[in-house]
Amino acid sequence: MISALPWVTTVSRLIMAGVLIVAGWGKIGTPVLSVQAVEAYELLPESLARVVGYGLPILEIVVGVLLVVGLLTRVAGVVSALLMLAFVIGIASAWARGLRIDCGCFGGGGQLAAGEEPAYLVDILRDFGLFALGVVIAWFPPGRFALDSALGLTPDRGPDDDTEIIEDEEPPEKEND
Amino acid sequence: MGKAARDQSARERIKAQREQQRRKDKARRITTIAAAAVVAIAAVGAGWWYAAQSSKSEQATAALAPITVTADGAVVMAKAGVEKPVLDVYEDFQCPACKSLEEASGPTIKNLAAEGKAKVVFHPITIFPEQMNNGITRGNSVRAGVASRCIAGGTPWMQFHDKVFKEQPLENVEGFKISDLVEWGKEAGVTDPNFEKCVTGQEKAAQHTAYSQKILDTQKLQGTPTLKLNGTEVPNDVAFSPSGLRQAVLDAAK
Repeated sequence: MISALPWVTTVSRLIMAGVLIVAGWGKIGTPVLSVQAVEAYELLPESLARVVGYGLPILEIVVGVLLVVGLLTRVAGVVSALLMLAFVIGIASAWARGLRIDCGCFGGGGQLAAGEEPAYLVDILRDFGLFALGVVIAWFPPGRFALDSALGLTPDRGPDDDTEIIEDEEPPEKEND
Repeated sequence: MGKAARDQSARERIKAQREQQRRKDKARRITTIAAAAVVAIAAVGAGWWYAAQSSKSEQATAALAPITVTADGAVVMAKAGVEKPVLDVYEDFQCPACKSLEEASGPTIKNLAAEGKAKVVFHPITIFPEQMNNGITRGNSVRAGVASRCIAGGTPWMQFHDKVFKEQPLENVEGFKISDLVEWGKEAGVTDPNFEKCVTGQEKAAQHTAYSQKILDTQKLQGTPTLKLNGTEVPNDVAFSPSGLRQAVLDAAK
């Protein structure tokens, strides 16, 4: 069980990263549409909608890349979980207010095509699942194949403390190498 | 020195060494984390800048291509002799997305026509149904559309068109008042003495709604705005990207 956990984190990272990068890429070319999609939720004032419309796609891509390489894993996990939580709240609120919009998750201007029905439940379930993955990543970073480990950025994990105790009992040849 | 004392001092030395090593590791870790964070934030900034640049609107040239209104109410903007590619613009004066399209790609559309790169055909239509917002949305759209039909073409038509989009009210608020529309028309340079009567009397209302219905039926629009290039719908991510739209039109001319 313990040895499987890092793999769970790695798989979570890759799934989350894939979704974030695809979603960011779909939006980054046309920030005008992306701003419109944000405005369609009727939650943010225009100026803030612009900031989100322009900033969110690139934020998703950068966080996605960090997750793929496993750098600053915990921070990236927290940010991605918070993003997903915000999306769930936004979509649920649009649903509750009876708006008829497309979530704009992967691009588009937030309008439904003619004859298209909103897919709020599917969107919410998907984003909630991703939120759970984000929590896993933030809780158990960085998983296998992570730059964080290669760069020695994970000091507060168990093994360090264990070795200290063992080394204390051992003769100091190691230090003289 | 006894063995015990030697052991003791060796142990302390090692302890100090280890402490130093730990401090060094910590400093290195902080540096690495800070560097990674700075790079990540810089990447966000760079991407933001890139997005802003790539979606930057063109500057509309001062001289527009000639604008003429056809018998059925479509508005052609093209230099003499330019027959293709044809860029059809289906828009509703009350639709927020159409306003965004005009802000983003409006100048590009004007420039393409002025450069003789395309024949642009505007189709101002009303897409909103009566049951939406108690008819307020549809009323706004129809008044504006009908007023635009009272203008015979030329630069005033485009200036009026731009002004109406600029003044677009919220969808659930009554706007585009008759008096405003008349005033905007005059500001736009309409000199036709019949203009005011035409707008006030909503003389083209039947023509406008019939044309809208015809377009919706025949063109199978998914919504507004819709751009069609030689009859093929232009995807939104191209239509809303000024450089992308320009490239698509240039490619269609080949």
